[in-house]
Amino acid sequence: MADDLVTLTIDGHEVSVPKGTTLLEAAKTIGEQVPHYCYHPGLSSPAMCRLCLVEVEGAPKPMPSCVTTVMEGQVVRTMSEEAKGHREGVLEFYLLNHPLDCPICDMSGECDLQDYVHLEGRKQGRGVEPKRVFGRDDFGGDVLFYGDRCVMCTRCVRFMSEVEQDERLTVVERGNRSVIDTFFTEGLEGTNWHGNIVDICPVGALVSKDFLYKARAWDLDHTPSVCASCSQGCNVMLHTRDNLVHRVKPRENLEVNGWWMCDHGRMDYEWINDGNRLEAPLISEDGVSRRAVGWKDALGELLGRAEELEAASVRAVASARASNEDLGALAELVGALGGGETVFRSPRAQEELVLKGFPKLARRKDLAPNVKGAELLGMRRVGDDAGAGGLDSVAEHGSIVIVLGDVLADQGEDFGAGADLYVYLGTHDSPAAKHADIVLPVTSHAEQEGTFTNHEGRVQRFWPALQPPGMARPAWLILGALDAELTGEGAPETAAELFGKLSDAVPAFGGLTYPDLGTQGASAKVGAGAGS
Amino acid sequence: MSDAPFKNPGWAGNTGEFDLTEEQVRGDDFVGDRPKHGGHASGAGTLPYMLAEKNPEAKLFEGEYQERFEKILTRYPTKRAALLPTLSLAQELRGYVSPESMDRVAELLDLSPAYVRGVSTFYTMYNKRPVGRYLVQVCTNISCNLCGADEVLEAFLSYTDTELGETSEDGNFTTIEAECLAACGFPTCVQINSRYFENVTPAEVPKIIEHLKTKGGD
Repeated sequence: MADDLVTLTIDGHEVSVPKGTTLLEAAKTIGEQVPHYCYHPGLSSPAMCRLCLVEVEGAPKPMPSCVTTVMEGQVVRTMSEEAKGHREGVLEFYLLNHPLDCPICDMSGECDLQDYVHLEGRKQGRGVEPKRVFGRDDFGGDVLFYGDRCVMCTRCVRFMSEVEQDERLTVVERGNRSVIDTFFTEGLEGTNWHGNIVDICPVGALVSKDFLYKARAWDLDHTPSVCASCSQGCNVMLHTRDNLVHRVKPRENLEVNGWWMCDHGRMDYEWINDGNRLEAPLISEDGVSRRAVGWKDALGELLGRAEELEAASVRAVASARASNEDLGALAELVGALGGGETVFRSPRAQEELVLKGFPKLARRKDLAPNVKGAELLGMRRVGDDAGAGGLDSVAEHGSIVIVLGDVLADQGEDFGAGADLYVYLGTHDSPAAKHADIVLPVTSHAEQEGTFTNHEGRVQRFWPALQPPGMARPAWLILGALDAELTGEGAPETAAELFGKLSDAVPAFGGLTYPDLGTQGASAKVGAGAGS
Repeated sequence: MSDAPFKNPGWAGNTGEFDLTEEQVRGDDFVGDRPKHGGHASGAGTLPYMLAEKNPEAKLFEGEYQERFEKILTRYPTKRAALLPTLSLAQELRGYVSPESMDRVAELLDLSPAYVRGVSTFYTMYNKRPVGRYLVQVCTNISCNLCGADEVLEAFLSYTDTELGETSEDGNFTTIEAECLAACGFPTCVQINSRYFENVTPAEVPKIIEHLKTKGGD
């Protein structure tokens, strides 16, 4: 056994963990989750909630497992009668002043207090004194504070002081009267990461105003995804119900975002729920009227028109919000149609918003998730920092024009008027699609499987969380089918298959496959294929 | 030793070993007076209670107070560590620690205002609201309570015609409850500004108040 490993016994299981590991973390390795409030892996441990008490053989008192480090030969019991008895006693104190308003509490269903009391609490309370009442307080930003539900774990205070490093919260008063508060009328406005204190609050004391009373926790489906609001690529969970995204929560990934995400990305989800979508393929007869058709007719028409053109050249506009698979399939199709140039645009912020206590994480300047992916696939960035302009050569191109995912908000109705064949693939219609010969509905990233490449070249998967509207299909499926017809090869049937082909063809992706990426992503060889 | 039978004169420490009268121990500065320049080598306010010449609008800090503030800073390794004496100084000057004081102290010490609020609300010796010239703190903890602290408290409130925590109309008296004043041998203990009054009974309350009014009042 290596010197830096310590062997101990937890609940009868022998475990070997690195020196310095806490008992709580060591217990996790055998699947024992010791109840706790104040401990959070991303914050310091004050050992003040007293809930993670476990029995350690030889110790005179129960030990808080979140700060007690492992020792050779230690015998720990997390589930013994004694340990449970300690926790039951602590939990009884937690309920002394708790309002027990679970039926109207937003946290109900995912609340640690609820869970632990159900698991290990007393069956019946013994309190007879009246409970003290704080009421609720608006902390500003997206945060509402219910003082009575608070268990004073101070995770939020520590997040603001240690991670965001903007100490807006504090414990006011002492003892029974202590309560979390801001500095009088000053709130959390102007901070960029305060949504995280709602996530780490173990009870319903800090709740999101945006999510308040919208859904019950147990009604929500959780789908792993990647935040599409900047090129950081924070791992997130989309919480959905009734085919709508109700909130976005960060998903742990120590290489990218830790446990955190910014408020900008957290609140940027309404567009996914936008109902004003393209739902069927449309064929333009004469530039004036459109006709909805089935996929077979639409693709047949497109191929027919493409075949009529001789010596075609393509100008394509892609979007940095499209997945690697979508962009890869587009690049293939452009090649099959006769070759040409693909450009993309992306808005860019003035500055990065770095999370001081976790500097790996920042709201990056590029406000689209796949700028790096588009660059690795040889697409050229055009336009200004607002994501506008730069399309003059495309707008007036005479042969084939393809638009994927860019709604062309800054372009006029005459965009592509001179093109022989103008294909518009998008989630939403656009005035600039007026002259499109064929309009094809595609899915957003929340409705399809795929990958994004983040700012440092890390390729990360996302999963479909919603049903696509109408006949909308993933762009890679459509483009791949067209490409297959033109080249005579088989069409890709899954995103995994397409990504496999893509990573074989593009050196930067270095042969990565979906199993390599897993749920946490893997790094592409950045630089190898950039700009080629 | 005097020949008179020992009678606890009402302050801690006199066990009869010293031939000092109450007058000699307490002197004339019964209450209300305090060392003129803070009286402590650190320059910190040693007695964070009211000054007769309190000024809630006083600037933090200037003149003599600026010097004392700078002296406080020299005594601690970090600015954060100087928070408590700085708050005391602010209270000495303004009479209580107002939100504005917290904000200003935070600015002076490079701390967040919320943190300063947390600290100043944790410690009960910082007054978060204006108090009267005499802050009457009646111990209502176990020993005193058993010996009638509730009646003493009630006597102070009724004699000064105030509610708990409120200031009397003449601006002289604010009566609050205190947890143990560490004088459990002499219940009921009452602390008025920096001075302890021990073995207080409800009957003595008017006498104490009149004494304060004449000796140190306006």
